[in-house]
Amino acid sequence: MRHKHLLIICLLWLGIAMSFDTGMATIGGDCDACHNLFPGMMDKTHTGKAFQYVLKNEFCVHCHSNANSDTIKSLGGNRVPVVHNTVNPIYPLGGGNFQYVAKDFGDRKGHNVDGITSVDKKFRGFPPGYKRASDPSFIGYDPGRPLMCAGSNGCHGDRDIEDPFASIMKTHHALDKPIDGSSSAKSYRFLGNAGGVKGVVGFEDKDWNQHGSSKSHNEYSPSIDILCKSCHGDFHSEGKGENDHWFSHPTGIPIPVLGEYQKYKVFDPDAPVAREHPIMSSPVINHGRDKVTCLSCHIAHAGPYDSLLRWDYEGLLTEQKKGCMICHSEK
Amino acid sequence: MNRITESSMVSAVDPQGSAVRRSILMSLSPVFLFFICLLFSTDSADARVRGRCKDCHAMHNSREGSVVTRAGLSGPFSSMTIGGCMGCHGQNPNGTQNIIVQGNMRIPQVIHYFEDGDLAGGNYIYVAEGHNPVYSRGHNVEGISLQENSPMNVPPGFVGGVNIPGGTGPLFWSSQRQLTCAGTWGCHGNRIIEDPFAAMSRAHHEDDGEIDGSTVGRSYRFLYGILGKEHRNWEYLASVGDHNGYKGDYTHSSMNTISYLCGECHAKFHPNANLGGVDEVGHAYDSVWRRHPSDISFGGVHNGYLDSEYGNYVQYSLESPVAYQNPTGRESKVDMDSIIMCLSCHRAHASPYPDMLRWDYSQVSARDNKSGKGCLVCHTKKSQ
Repeated sequence: MRHKHLLIICLLWLGIAMSFDTGMATIGGDCDACHNLFPGMMDKTHTGKAFQYVLKNEFCVHCHSNANSDTIKSLGGNRVPVVHNTVNPIYPLGGGNFQYVAKDFGDRKGHNVDGITSVDKKFRGFPPGYKRASDPSFIGYDPGRPLMCAGSNGCHGDRDIEDPFASIMKTHHALDKPIDGSSSAKSYRFLGNAGGVKGVVGFEDKDWNQHGSSKSHNEYSPSIDILCKSCHGDFHSEGKGENDHWFSHPTGIPIPVLGEYQKYKVFDPDAPVAREHPIMSSPVINHGRDKVTCLSCHIAHAGPYDSLLRWDYEGLLTEQKKGCMICHSEK
Repeated sequence: MNRITESSMVSAVDPQGSAVRRSILMSLSPVFLFFICLLFSTDSADARVRGRCKDCHAMHNSREGSVVTRAGLSGPFSSMTIGGCMGCHGQNPNGTQNIIVQGNMRIPQVIHYFEDGDLAGGNYIYVAEGHNPVYSRGHNVEGISLQENSPMNVPPGFVGGVNIPGGTGPLFWSSQRQLTCAGTWGCHGNRIIEDPFAAMSRAHHEDDGEIDGSTVGRSYRFLYGILGKEHRNWEYLASVGDHNGYKGDYTHSSMNTISYLCGECHAKFHPNANLGGVDEVGHAYDSVWRRHPSDISFGGVHNGYLDSEYGNYVQYSLESPVAYQNPTGRESKVDMDSIIMCLSCHRAHASPYPDMLRWDYSQVSARDNKSGKGCLVCHTKKSQ
């Protein structure tokens, strides 16, 4: 009987330990660390109404930036993922780092997010491939306004809400497990989506992929592609030719069981696959089930390579066993 | 350091030093030659496409927000290629390059303005729209030429349902159906598969070190099932001892000859029983020819090879090449086992002359004693 109790206590502790280890992101601690005010942050409103935040996107950027090269910082006792270092990051996180698009590296290196860099000179704020019909947001993307971190002109939070700050509201302090896409808080990395479409589902690496490996990494699901599609149209399902060959690189299709893909057996963080039910990191590639995702080739924020690619496509040679050749091993 | 000093001393004081060096060099030379041979054999054998993915492929038919274009064509293109077949193999029709080097790749150009630079298959410039085309000079391939008028809108000599590698050829060739580079209605790739790109799938990236016809990638010039030896420069600057090696079979018991490929569409011009057979072409030993034969050896002519006019064709001619049972591309001699093939007289793509001939048939005359030219390369006594 004592043994039984001991076992239950052990399992309980193990469960608690695992729940922390897998990235419980609910923020607690010192309020002032995040909510202190800086010049220009608050603005007067009409008489009789409360002050309101302005520079709302910069507020996100302010917390998630760092002046040194560390990509995880501490604020009020919380570990905060850094998406924008003002110097070159040593270990960029899963989404990359906006440093590459913020400086002189060029627009092609990343998403031109307001508060970090100016509007893309070529596309002038218009997401390539955008189709209103593919965007589930009731509001839709407004190319007249810059890309934001969150809201209808962004990726995070509820995209049915225009105000980025309002769209992300109640996420950081909410219970964020299980990640089932039922709310922005319970969506993978607060990617909530809109228009009745469920948020993104995935497994969040506790270190945001800072040292992603085959054994320990973010796990994506095909739902991430639905979010990409919201702004970039249906690049892929339209890509299938009538005779079963591709006009455009597909996503959302299983890694084939046969052919050159067989050699991709161990998960490579440089070419991640999506799983239907990601609940933990797995090093195994399941051919015929795991799927190609936008993030197999691209990173979400910014990186050192053009087109937000995970590798240098311009210089990638078929002789190299990386980049495209991780999947296309016999090219 | 000591070793260098000792070595220097040996050469300085030892009168045998130079002999020793010579001996070492002599012993090393076979190794050196072996590596040179290896280098060359590797270079000429494996034509698998390598290099930068981006030179041939675009992932989203999108470059800087615009659709992908190349060679006057705009996407989307099948198999995510940039410009389809012609995007790579006809990159600059007005240019003067017959082989374009792109990164690590050397890409043969089937259409260009390089004077005297036509590759073995010829040059589509003679039949291409926008370049004063004369349709009788070549195959009218979709995307290069418009379709010819009747009766040349179907392959001359076409027979439906002939045996082809992997299955059966099309039963019927519609007058609306234009020739394509590959697939059922083309020459390259697996002709069982209708779509040109699906028919060529994987071929360019396959290890083609051995041409055994087992796959498209391992077939001569991606002509499925056909054997041969591929000249590394597609016969640009080829010589009598270094050229394409064409496969022939005078027993007509195989489907892997270059002439059989032609016969898949022009069946009545080939004596193989699978195709036109002797009824259409004739037979070497007991009849006169109804049509000029292919896949027959010089030794197979009636009245025998000895003292025949073909006995005077002794050195391989790039103008009137012959096929071999086991081609190496290094044959310089022609003998009784050398084999007449379609490409002895014709180019595969297009030529400056009518009927895609290698020479101007209207100018070949037995009376003018131009032995060694055109038909008279083989028919040596016709000019005497």
